[in-house]
Amino acid sequence: MTNSTFQIDYKDLNINVSQIEEILGYNEGEDREIFKVLIEEVLKETESFCQIRAEYNICTDLVFNNAEKSVDINGINFQIKKIVFDQLKNTDSVAVFLCTAGEELGIRTRKAMKDGDLLTGYIYDVAGSVIVDAAADFMQNELELSVNLSGKKITNRYSPGYCGWYVAEQHKLFQLVPDNYCGIRLTESALMDPVKSISGIIGIGANVKMNPYTCGLCEMKNCVYRKKKEIRDKSATV
Amino acid sequence: MNDILEKLAQCVEFGKINKASPYPPNMKDQDGADELAKRALEEGVKPDEILENALVPAMSRVGDKFTRKEIYVPQMLMAAKAMNSAMAHLKPFFQSGETKRKGKFIVGTVSGDLHDIGKNLVAMMIEGGGWEVIDLGVDVGTEKFLKALDENPDAVVGLSALLTTTMENMKKTVTAIKEKHAGSKILIGGAPVTMEYCEKIGADFYSPDPQGAVNYLKQLVS
Repeated sequence: MTNSTFQIDYKDLNINVSQIEEILGYNEGEDREIFKVLIEEVLKETESFCQIRAEYNICTDLVFNNAEKSVDINGINFQIKKIVFDQLKNTDSVAVFLCTAGEELGIRTRKAMKDGDLLTGYIYDVAGSVIVDAAADFMQNELELSVNLSGKKITNRYSPGYCGWYVAEQHKLFQLVPDNYCGIRLTESALMDPVKSISGIIGIGANVKMNPYTCGLCEMKNCVYRKKKEIRDKSATV
Repeated sequence: MNDILEKLAQCVEFGKINKASPYPPNMKDQDGADELAKRALEEGVKPDEILENALVPAMSRVGDKFTRKEIYVPQMLMAAKAMNSAMAHLKPFFQSGETKRKGKFIVGTVSGDLHDIGKNLVAMMIEGGGWEVIDLGVDVGTEKFLKALDENPDAVVGLSALLTTTMENMKKTVTAIKEKHAGSKILIGGAPVTMEYCEKIGADFYSPDPQGAVNYLKQLVS
């Protein structure tokens, strides 16, 4: 297995107010100045404390089972289900990855909420989601550059809990990486600690492709990523 | 409606906390929910009138607008904060028993799950609906829910979960509650939860949004 580790500088992620606003939601023509000021304050604070990390391990021992829509990675069976299976079936290796925005964001979120500063707490929470997503993009870009050197391509990233892949399979995924990988611990209920973390796999191969948008394939109607897409589409048509 | 109650309701609906609060921009430098609730009491408006004729309808409008996607979580949080600033003036009357609330609502995120934003939103809206909220927090085991129900046997219970894994823990809690407090009403919510799942585990109600929960409780006491 090949391991790569990234300590990511917040500045390298180019996080901006509009990314946070996109998730917070807003109506066209609405005065957003007040929220903008608060978002800027939260992001400035966040920059000073967040510890962003990402790691991936490349696994080459893959056995796909078309009937079961599953894959064995290093001898561990993953019931990835149809959507993910169809995207990964032509890969010859996968990168098992973990990313985190660090523990402090969760602490700040809870503290602000507890102190009655609900909006600030919520913005910290959203900022954490945006940062860890951007960190995963960063890591994915690095992976893509690396595999491109050998003439290969990568797929989208897929995580337990999305696209029909049961979230409890996180436990199996964590068996493919060392303990405390990327500083992330997995609870019995498959919740990652720190909460603002992402885990998953990315397919690698000569005959794979990145789909621009896969939310239409997924059944999670309330997913934050689908909502982001809907808001973007709405903005584009106004 | 009394003029001051109408203004108070507007402040709550649009999230105007107090005079110093810059939000919303079109109400800048005006009195907010804090000052208006205080003044209403000073002018002799009864606390239950403030609750029933200003805070509850204002939060109901907020919940309806959120359901219709006319506002989003930040506006809802600002409204809840404005409501809390008014509610702070009513707390002594709740404590003395002079003003009664509609009932008690025990809420918590189930065992193994640490997500609390959705649960907090529901708790805020239900408090704004005139209920006393007993928030047990996150990662709440069945025993803790049962203990809270032992102490408040007439309370309605709300369970929240964000993961399909922790959603399974709802079933254990619902089963245990129904065994010990058969008449207790239980409502459930969270991203992976559906009405079908609600029926499957024997809970009484599922709502995809906070206002649905408020309306369900309203119907229970009507």
